Amino acid sequence: MSASPGAPAPVEAGGRDERPAERDRPSAIRRLGLERYAIVIVLVAMIVAFGVDIPSTFLSIGNLSNILGSQAVLFILVMAVLLPTIMGDFVDLSLGSSLGLSAMVLAVLNVQHGTNVLLACLAGIGAAVIVGLFNVFFVVYFDNDPFIVTLGTMTIVQGIIYIVSGNNSVGIVSTSLSNWVFSNEFLSIPLEFYYGLAIFLVVWYVLSFTPVGQKALVIGQSREVARLTGVRVNRQRSWAFIIGAAIAGIAGIAYAATNGTVDPTAGSALILPAYAAVFLGATAIKPGRINALGALVAVYFLATGTAGLELLGAQSYIQQIFYGAALVVAITIPKVNRDRIFKRRRTA
Amino acid sequence: MEAPAPPAVELRDISKDFGSNRALDHVDLSIGDGEVVGLVGQNGSGKSTLVKILSGVHVPEPGGRLFVSGEEVPLPLAPGQASQIGLSFVYQNLALAPGLTVLENLTLGQRVAAGARAAWAPINWLGEKRRGAAVLDRYGVRLNLDQRTGELPPVDQARLAIVRAAEDLNRYRTRSGYKHSVLVLDEPTVFLPEEDVEQLFDLIRTVKAEGAAVLFISHDLVAVRSIADRVVVLRDGRVVAEVPAGEIEEQALVDLIVGTSARQGGSAAADEARPVEVTLAPAGPAGAEDTPGPGPGQHVAVEHLSDGRLKDLSFEIGAGEILGVAGLIGSGAEDLPYLLFGAHPALSGTLRLGSEKLDITALSPQRSVRQRIALVPADRQLLGLAERLTLWENIVMLVEDEHYRGGVFHRGELVELAREAVQRFEIRPPRTHAVIATFSGGNQQKALLAKWLIAGPRLLLLHEPTQGVDVGARRDIYRFVKSAATLNQTSVLWVTTDFGELAEVCDRVIVLSEGRTTDTLAGEELSDDAITAAALRQIREVR
Repeated sequence: MSASPGAPAPVEAGGRDERPAERDRPSAIRRLGLERYAIVIVLVAMIVAFGVDIPSTFLSIGNLSNILGSQAVLFILVMAVLLPTIMGDFVDLSLGSSLGLSAMVLAVLNVQHGTNVLLACLAGIGAAVIVGLFNVFFVVYFDNDPFIVTLGTMTIVQGIIYIVSGNNSVGIVSTSLSNWVFSNEFLSIPLEFYYGLAIFLVVWYVLSFTPVGQKALVIGQSREVARLTGVRVNRQRSWAFIIGAAIAGIAGIAYAATNGTVDPTAGSALILPAYAAVFLGATAIKPGRINALGALVAVYFLATGTAGLELLGAQSYIQQIFYGAALVVAITIPKVNRDRIFKRRRTA
Repeated sequence: MEAPAPPAVELRDISKDFGSNRALDHVDLSIGDGEVVGLVGQNGSGKSTLVKILSGVHVPEPGGRLFVSGEEVPLPLAPGQASQIGLSFVYQNLALAPGLTVLENLTLGQRVAAGARAAWAPINWLGEKRRGAAVLDRYGVRLNLDQRTGELPPVDQARLAIVRAAEDLNRYRTRSGYKHSVLVLDEPTVFLPEEDVEQLFDLIRTVKAEGAAVLFISHDLVAVRSIADRVVVLRDGRVVAEVPAGEIEEQALVDLIVGTSARQGGSAAADEARPVEVTLAPAGPAGAEDTPGPGPGQHVAVEHLSDGRLKDLSFEIGAGEILGVAGLIGSGAEDLPYLLFGAHPALSGTLRLGSEKLDITALSPQRSVRQRIALVPADRQLLGLAERLTLWENIVMLVEDEHYRGGVFHRGELVELAREAVQRFEIRPPRTHAVIATFSGGNQQKALLAKWLIAGPRLLLLHEPTQGVDVGARRDIYRFVKSAATLNQTSVLWVTTDFGELAEVCDRVIVLSEGRTTDTLAGEELSDDAITAAALRQIREVR
């Protein structure tokens, strides 16, 4: 009921009053068009600042490799998180435990049962897909709240991980896998970065350059509108859960290969940072929309920030504070409307 | 002999203007203690405006006065003030929380009325339950206090809402010491099957016997005549008659509501001279279209359609014909577009589109879109447009697939297509990349119409297509739909409660009542008043 624009918009062509009742008065930042590149600009500023301050360490190939490579697992998980989220299934908490399950299945099969690495990887991804199917069944088919269902799924899968692993860390996963994922480098950057990049390119293409992606956007904005426009809403949502889970499974493989040993709590620490990146990414490139390119920028924005701070001597837990603060600040800035603040001061 | 008691509530000289439009014109209305007054009139006659002045929503023009038990209360009323002077309202939607129990709903009013200070007072649920049971008992209503309200049949929900309102009035009388209290019932019977209405009336008679004054607003003349002591007829914002309910024949009442001297229905619609070419040629090779067919322009027939409310309904729409469907709320007319699109499930029925025969129960929105059936729903914000997407994204939603070729999404073509549509459908301002929520209601509606018309529908289903739309956009929408019908031979189904609109745009109007077609009007017979009279008359015939 906010503002019922009953009156027709004035129509003098070229007139200054051409815009209709301004329901959503854009903030100064948005009007200047800065919003979409705000994070990019801050990222560049950060690189300049760290570069000036600690040029020898920050501007080294080693650090670049560290920033790009160390976040590859998180980055792949972010692509997984993106899919259900963009369709309005706002949270799939179980993606973190899908990652953990995939890594653990791989480790247990490969280390304890001597299964071929490739088969073990496929089994890991398969396990993650089963988790996705479980979610589809209870979220889409029975039309439950995704937050509640995936909270349950997450807990169940975590329990299964403990059973499979006997509550122990399992290692060491085949070195040939490590080589192909982590140790081998191309242009001094671990290969897993390129795997993440490849997944990103596919996700980005589908979401931004196909009708499927456009429909996903409509589903995310309004499920009923999509349904009445003839979009196969539930089918698309189901695929988002399943493919999201599969990508989380791939992230699990990368995790196992990177760390060598798999800890039973592997995925749970990653899922919230992944959501932080997705929502931070929704403030960039296409503000107000969850988008793949924004998520890419957000992940490496966060990675650069934490790497710089750590090189300055901050403890590694600074990462958490930096993540949280960046998210809260980024979503708030577009809402900071000068008029509103002044008005509030006046009445206060 | 003492002077007769003052009426419980009296309105004097109430007027209300909306812009240049006079909704109420010097209306006087009074209701005595223990009296039921029926308020009738067609859509737009001012009934709901009057209720909203009583409830404090609208501010009347200066000069209007309100007396409660003979004492003047200054107008306008503040929101919430109505309950403090002994007025209580039950609206069509009943304002019950479906997830709460009967008892919780029953006592909700007390919680709110108790004010902030009592907000922390502990609730004795056992005592509440005892009192609740006693209250229901007093009104002769049998309900399980622990049942979720949403699980009750509609009539029991209506009774619960009335009991709650009556009980609020009761408390008001004991607390204030005043004798008066006024219960306003706004269309409480529309969703009820006729056999349940009588139960409701028993309850209203109990409330009346307690001494409350009751204002009963309804379209249903049978109901009004059987429950009211006196009937007040509003027409064009004026009280045209005030008669004892027992003394007036129904036909006479219909004449009073509509006005005996039938006014000229067709207002000057002279601007149809420039029809709009509404199908835009797809810029790419048409690939994804599943239905080649001979294009638009096919005879449509609906056969034996039934759902909860519609009963074995059959009708036809010729190619290029605009068929209006008129019906009062509850007649089933408002379900029709959604059933034919497959958005709501039907129980049975077939839809013939040219030579094709479709089972309506097996329709789904996806299937309908492929069959080029279009639905413009009444709730454009919730069902029609993706509000936070841009204008162009909304317009091209249905034709996107045709512009994805060889792995490349031709966004430029789509934007160009949208830009063309914006021009043809005169959407203003022509900013294709602006978020659709920033446009005015009329322009949003034009965009919604454009979205469906550029897909070249064979059957266009419209539900309240000009709701919340300004006059200029309304004319445009009439023009667009008419030209789609003439130029593309699209068959159009137009459902609205604005009967004047039907008279103006439709070639033929069918009137529904209780889920059946009871009248067909065409040509010279088409006028606002004729349709209204037909819709009102039917209730009588069916009952």
